[in-house]
Amino acid sequence: MKPSMLINATLGASLAMSVALPTSALADEINVVLFSMPYTQGLAKLEADFEAATGHTANIEVIGQDVFENRITLSFTGKTGDMDVVHTPVIQVQRWIEAGWLRPITAEVDGMATKDDILAGPLDAYLVNGDRWALPFFAETGMMAYRTDLLAAAGYDAPPATWEEMLEVAAAVKTDEVGALAMRVAPGQGFNMFVFPMIMRAYGGEFFADYSGRDLTPNMNTPEALAGLEVYSKLMNDYGPEGIGNFNFGEVAAGIQSGQVAMIVDGTSIAARALDPEQSQFADQISIAAVPSGPAGRSPAIAVHGLGVPADAPNPEASFAFIEWATSEETLTKIALSEAYPDFIRASVASNADVVGKYESIHPDFLSLKVEMLGDAIGHYRPLLPQWPQIGQTVGENINAAVNGIMTNEEALAQSDKDIADIMSE
Amino acid sequence: MSVQTLFQRSYNQMLMPAVLAVGIFAVLPLVGMFGLSFTDFHLIKGWRGEVGLHNFAKLLDDRKFLASINVMLMLSVFGVIFQVVMGTLIAVGVEKIVPKWKFMRGIFVVPFVVPAIAVALIWLSLFTPTLSPINDFFDIFGITVPAFLTTQYGAIVAIVIADTWASFPFVMLLILAALQGISGDLDEAASIDGATKMQIFWRITLPLLKPALLMVALFRFIETLKHFPLIFVMTNGGPGRSTQATNYYAYIQTFQSSNVSYGAAIAVFLFLFAAIISFYVARANARISGA
Repeated sequence: MKPSMLINATLGASLAMSVALPTSALADEINVVLFSMPYTQGLAKLEADFEAATGHTANIEVIGQDVFENRITLSFTGKTGDMDVVHTPVIQVQRWIEAGWLRPITAEVDGMATKDDILAGPLDAYLVNGDRWALPFFAETGMMAYRTDLLAAAGYDAPPATWEEMLEVAAAVKTDEVGALAMRVAPGQGFNMFVFPMIMRAYGGEFFADYSGRDLTPNMNTPEALAGLEVYSKLMNDYGPEGIGNFNFGEVAAGIQSGQVAMIVDGTSIAARALDPEQSQFADQISIAAVPSGPAGRSPAIAVHGLGVPADAPNPEASFAFIEWATSEETLTKIALSEAYPDFIRASVASNADVVGKYESIHPDFLSLKVEMLGDAIGHYRPLLPQWPQIGQTVGENINAAVNGIMTNEEALAQSDKDIADIMSE
Repeated sequence: MSVQTLFQRSYNQMLMPAVLAVGIFAVLPLVGMFGLSFTDFHLIKGWRGEVGLHNFAKLLDDRKFLASINVMLMLSVFGVIFQVVMGTLIAVGVEKIVPKWKFMRGIFVVPFVVPAIAVALIWLSLFTPTLSPINDFFDIFGITVPAFLTTQYGAIVAIVIADTWASFPFVMLLILAALQGISGDLDEAASIDGATKMQIFWRITLPLLKPALLMVALFRFIETLKHFPLIFVMTNGGPGRSTQATNYYAYIQTFQSSNVSYGAAIAVFLFLFAAIISFYVARANARISGA
């Protein structure tokens, strides 16, 4: 081997080793792994602020949600200690606690001077077995966004208030060029299972016989859940845009932003994007409304996200310093102003004049409607069980099969009960 | 010590780095996968003490697993057929029929260098009617292009098309290399004897290409068993479970259901399946080459 090649090889190996070493081995460097959403994108731009505020440096890595699941599972199971702070969706928290992947932060949270400023619902969503496991930064709920001009042209001055009315309005609005309603249909616990329970629960359907009383007998194969699934299937197949059977939130958002869809029912962050003139071609003709209700009332979706400390984080104090900074009034206010992030969880941010001004300029009712929807949402909209990711995936596949005509609605619900029973018995 | 012993010793020493690399990066994970498949390791529940063939017994009763084999075979068989036919036709075209088009080889190779995730995103857009320029184009003539990704077989066709687009250049390059190894004298002699171009292709070129075709088909078949990114991005395994191929099902079992040992058993099945196919094809290839 030539000497130059040897030197190059040695340098290359040294470089590879330095890259492979977990950077958290260095004293005050915090590695943060988050999945992509407006808040996390905004946070990643504030790394310098964190350093100025605490003296620590942060490497904030923002990745896609699907990739995130695999990335953190490998990190947790491999006990690599390469993460100091991890994005912690409330829907995963029970599973992660059971697996021993998270470190409780009860004392740190209870010792915070500004704890009472955090909305109680999202904060307590992370209170499991008497301990706190993450601090929330995001509480999203369901919301409808609709094109006022298209509804008016079809003879409707107001959006549908119930799912039955939605069927009627959708039939009138649908044309060859414009789909009446788009919702997520792609299979997955965070995809169609984020939206379908809004309809199922509005018709009285449930996942279990008595979730609150802890009777976890599967109970989806009921006339109520069937009524909900029939409405969902009909809305998507008869009045949705072409190709709706594979739509995820990206396609739903693009549908209303590009004018190919008259109404969407999704999360508040998607509704905010539809109203944003910089992102939406028809923003000035889009308004928002409550999620439609059904015979059993209204059940808007709810999703809470927070920041937690992995069990093997090498420097838990520095990890919590990051979490406290990332969920502080100052940081949340900055992100609420710079990004489409109306899902903040601090009362002080909700009353900040600049923040209120921004979201009222997008739509005067946006914040009040969000609060109303959060009030209507139930905490266990998607059951808070360690098995939920598996249940959500399997049931989501069955519901998707029903909407796409691969199973009948009845078969999908019967199969879901059977699948849930199998998962719960494992 | 004889010169031969010395030579053998240094030969073994020089081989050691390669043996170590293969051992660490190929054999060790494989042994780990086989080992896990006999346990009951669960990401959340950990080890529960059961060791044996229970995961393999469960495979035989698992309706979703059996359905996933069907999906895998459909994706692989149709994918390989289209890739081999298209790659061969283009290779023969640029090498024999229109040699002036040799410069096109570079253009045809482009899809092969596009990362799998990007291929999946490109085709997801093309098959999503509200985003697709193809739909916009046909709309001008009043033709509605069906939404492939929402029907059971349409989604499979969509994945096969995307995979064919991304992988035919590999076939084309190997067949081009094989074509260049066939002496031009054979074509010339056949031509003097009055054979047409089609006759030359069917009677001379194609039989001589058989070993290369068989090998390239085998490579592609094994590669298509690993159809993950296209399914993950384009369909999430849907509609329903229509595109849940076996490796995707192993992923669901491992990462969604946390059932690592069962996922390992599925991976062992895939490994053995690919190994058996490789063995038979290699034997067939040896027979053809020796004939």
